[in-house]
Amino acid sequence: MAQTTVPLKKTPAPTNWKTWLGVAPFFLFAILFLFLPSMRLITASFTSPEGNFTLDNIRQLFTVPLIVNAYKLSIQISAITALGGGILGFLLAYAVTVGGLPKSLRPILMTFSGVASNFAGVPLAFAFVATLGRQGFITHVLRDYLGVDLYSAGFNLYSFAGLSLVYMYFQFPLMVLIMAPALDGLKREWREAAENLGATSTQYWLRVALPVLLPSILGAMILLFGNAFGAYATAYALTGGRIGIVTIQIGAQIRGDVLYNPGLGYAMAVGMVVIMAISLAGYSWLQAKTERWLR
Amino acid sequence: MKFLNRLRKFPFLAWLWFLLGALYFVLPLLATFEFSLSWDPAVPFKAYQRAFEDVRFWRSFIASNVFAVITIIACIILVVPTAYWIRLRLPQARRIVEFITLMPFVVPAIILVFGLIRVYSTPFTIPFTNIVFMQALTQFKAGTNILIVAGYMVLAMPYMYRSVDTGMRTVDILTLTEAAQSLGASWFVIITRVILPNIRSALLSGALLTFAIVVGEVILASFLGVNAFGPYLFLLGQHRAYEPAALSFVSFLLTWIAMGMIQLVTGGQNQTAGGH
Amino acid sequence: MSYLSISNVTKQFGDTVVVDNFNLEIGKGEFVSFLGPSGCGKTTTLRMVAGFENPTSGKILLDGADITDKAPNQRNVGMIFQSYALFPNMTVAQNIGFGLKVRKEADAVVKQRVSEMISLINLEAHANKYPYQLSGGQQQRVSLARALAIRPQVLLLDEPLSALDAKIRVSLRSEIRSIQKSLGITAIFVTHDQEEALSISDRIVVMNAGEMEQVGTPFEIYNFPKTRFVANFVGSLNTADAEVVDTAKGLVSVDGVQFTSAEGTKGRNKGDKVKVAIRPERFSFATQQHKDNVVDAIIENITFLGSVVRIQIKIGNTSFNMDTFNNPFLELPKIGSKQQVTCSKEAVLVLDE
Repeated sequence: MAQTTVPLKKTPAPTNWKTWLGVAPFFLFAILFLFLPSMRLITASFTSPEGNFTLDNIRQLFTVPLIVNAYKLSIQISAITALGGGILGFLLAYAVTVGGLPKSLRPILMTFSGVASNFAGVPLAFAFVATLGRQGFITHVLRDYLGVDLYSAGFNLYSFAGLSLVYMYFQFPLMVLIMAPALDGLKREWREAAENLGATSTQYWLRVALPVLLPSILGAMILLFGNAFGAYATAYALTGGRIGIVTIQIGAQIRGDVLYNPGLGYAMAVGMVVIMAISLAGYSWLQAKTERWLR
Repeated sequence: MKFLNRLRKFPFLAWLWFLLGALYFVLPLLATFEFSLSWDPAVPFKAYQRAFEDVRFWRSFIASNVFAVITIIACIILVVPTAYWIRLRLPQARRIVEFITLMPFVVPAIILVFGLIRVYSTPFTIPFTNIVFMQALTQFKAGTNILIVAGYMVLAMPYMYRSVDTGMRTVDILTLTEAAQSLGASWFVIITRVILPNIRSALLSGALLTFAIVVGEVILASFLGVNAFGPYLFLLGQHRAYEPAALSFVSFLLTWIAMGMIQLVTGGQNQTAGGH
Repeated sequence: MSYLSISNVTKQFGDTVVVDNFNLEIGKGEFVSFLGPSGCGKTTTLRMVAGFENPTSGKILLDGADITDKAPNQRNVGMIFQSYALFPNMTVAQNIGFGLKVRKEADAVVKQRVSEMISLINLEAHANKYPYQLSGGQQQRVSLARALAIRPQVLLLDEPLSALDAKIRVSLRSEIRSIQKSLGITAIFVTHDQEEALSISDRIVVMNAGEMEQVGTPFEIYNFPKTRFVANFVGSLNTADAEVVDTAKGLVSVDGVQFTSAEGTKGRNKGDKVKVAIRPERFSFATQQHKDNVVDAIIENITFLGSVVRIQIKIGNTSFNMDTFNNPFLELPKIGSKQQVTCSKEAVLVLDE
């Protein structure tokens, strides 16, 4: 261990390559286990079965019905649950921040949201089977006490609508986690200034609070979209692959070449990465906008 | 008049949203718990007994816990020096490293495992020759274990890095280091006596989040063929009814404990860690 | 004739009395400051005028109308906040026009008034900028324009200068004062900075622990503080324990050294324990002409403060500060030397212990 103290400079002088050695392990790790795998998928998606460069796979992303449908389904379920989860999550975050609920409820809700937003996958699917499945708790209660038979009314947990309900369970808590700090960022003085200038509560919300929050809300919803788009285990555990969203199709492709063209499987993965990258970029852009405002 | 005033100010809508959200949260848990108890009215906790009697449960559950611990340690060893070095000497690397830590959002687990399998299922050869110097990682047990821990590290990286970096910012690690240096401390003392104790709560919250992620994880484990808790629970659900409900409830409680402890150690400061 | 009348206003939060029986009549066009340490109730009083807090008891009348229970958005009272409170999603012009927009004024009116206001605060070049692109001083000027745009009956300023740096604070405060004078608007200005209050106000209300200590012009407050709190809080002050010696002559004694007080010791008895208060700038070195209050002092320390030189002197066993204006030809005594110092009879204030 070097005993001599190295002089520190706040404004770094020209860094030599040795300084970069300090972050080398991190970069090596990222290259080995993040970039190499991603690059392999990308190069493979542009490779024909004979090993030549081709755009065929990418073209087929937009033409093979199975794949087009998978994307359609994934985008639909992600958009619906991002919107639904976003609205419910926003209202909840509103309720515990500026909505006037007792302060003691806030940490409870925040912890709950932390749990629920991380409570995805197999256990979540089982929990919903026990709740809204054919023998589920709510199904029973509704049938026995209110005379409403969910399943003969057309509801099915193992359908698109059912899966959306399950996704909502981890979607809206995530919204709460993102929006609560954003709502805290609304200064009390803005409300007072608005009132002082003659604005009603509605005018304040429409002209000040919501416009100020809009980038955060949109950004959070984009994040929710990506969150649902990348989910696999919940859907697989619930429906066993009957609802062919993109992640399910990719999973099938890893297990065995169901598309009879490995390149197409890689292309599907790359398409997904592109969509995720676009949503992350959108989120970052909106985030930067908010930070600039609320500096 | 005063009463009417108070009535007018009572947040009806806020309560409505809160109750709606609370119902959404609680009902599935309640239903799961109720279902897990309903196997045999005479023996209320029969599903739990059966689940815990199964040796495969313990094997997979312990495996997951071991993976979680190894992942946490490896992640700390990788992330703490990196974050520290960037704050100290290499601020120009901040953007790129932050970008890398965001990558796991762009490359979800299913894509990550796809790529990992494709890269590491072929043997390593000496460049430009066909001489194999190492078997493919997916071909032997230790290799798969390395792959899965690496995968978990990738998944946990965003949370760990963010948590540690925020921790270092709040205690102003640069000034602390300079102060320690001016008092004549060696690097070893600086890191063990100054840096680590000051980011303890950040480390702990990152670790707990990693724990919650790893123990419930199913994608990496099942595609890499590792016998972990996630795949075990999934398989159990294919042919049993009550035990999976019991274990789902248990795994919910575990997540709850992890998150509750994060709340405790950070004093509620780091709640958005899960949100990015 | 009072324009804004605050009568018998008390505000309690739970069991704590934050403002206790506040009474004040403010004339039209008057500039009144509420001065006091933090937690003295000055901001709460201001917020009751704005309508953000409701008095526990008492009445607030504005131009004859009772506004005590009116909602804040019905009052037509302009408020300026310490943190500027500009809406971050709106440009300077949109911020200024906000109050008119929510009143559903015609677009032409809004446009006209906004440009009037922007030129009033000299920010023509920044009309389409967002708050985050402006400096603190500029932001606070926008906030002033925004409050004035609705032609409020009263302008309320809640420590508007506290977040700014020293230079801007001084220039903005005179800008605020001159705009207030030219518009003839009634204003209440809350501050904890005595210099600010003294320089800007027609009248000052000094508050402490929810109570009004003294109301008066800056001149009265500074020169004739009625209570020990006011004397201490406004300006710097030497205080010393003293004893009444002669009530007829107004004589008090500090450690055996006698001072004559012009305001006298009426209502007190010989031997009463009192406090004597003398402002540092009222002391000077004695010359032949001085007759009253010429006392011996030992020079203990000399501190150069820029425009002022502060000399620490010891009279009897008590240390006092004595301020004298700096000039390049000033001859200062040696530390440790014995000098005669003096102060006028009017400078000696006798306060309760």
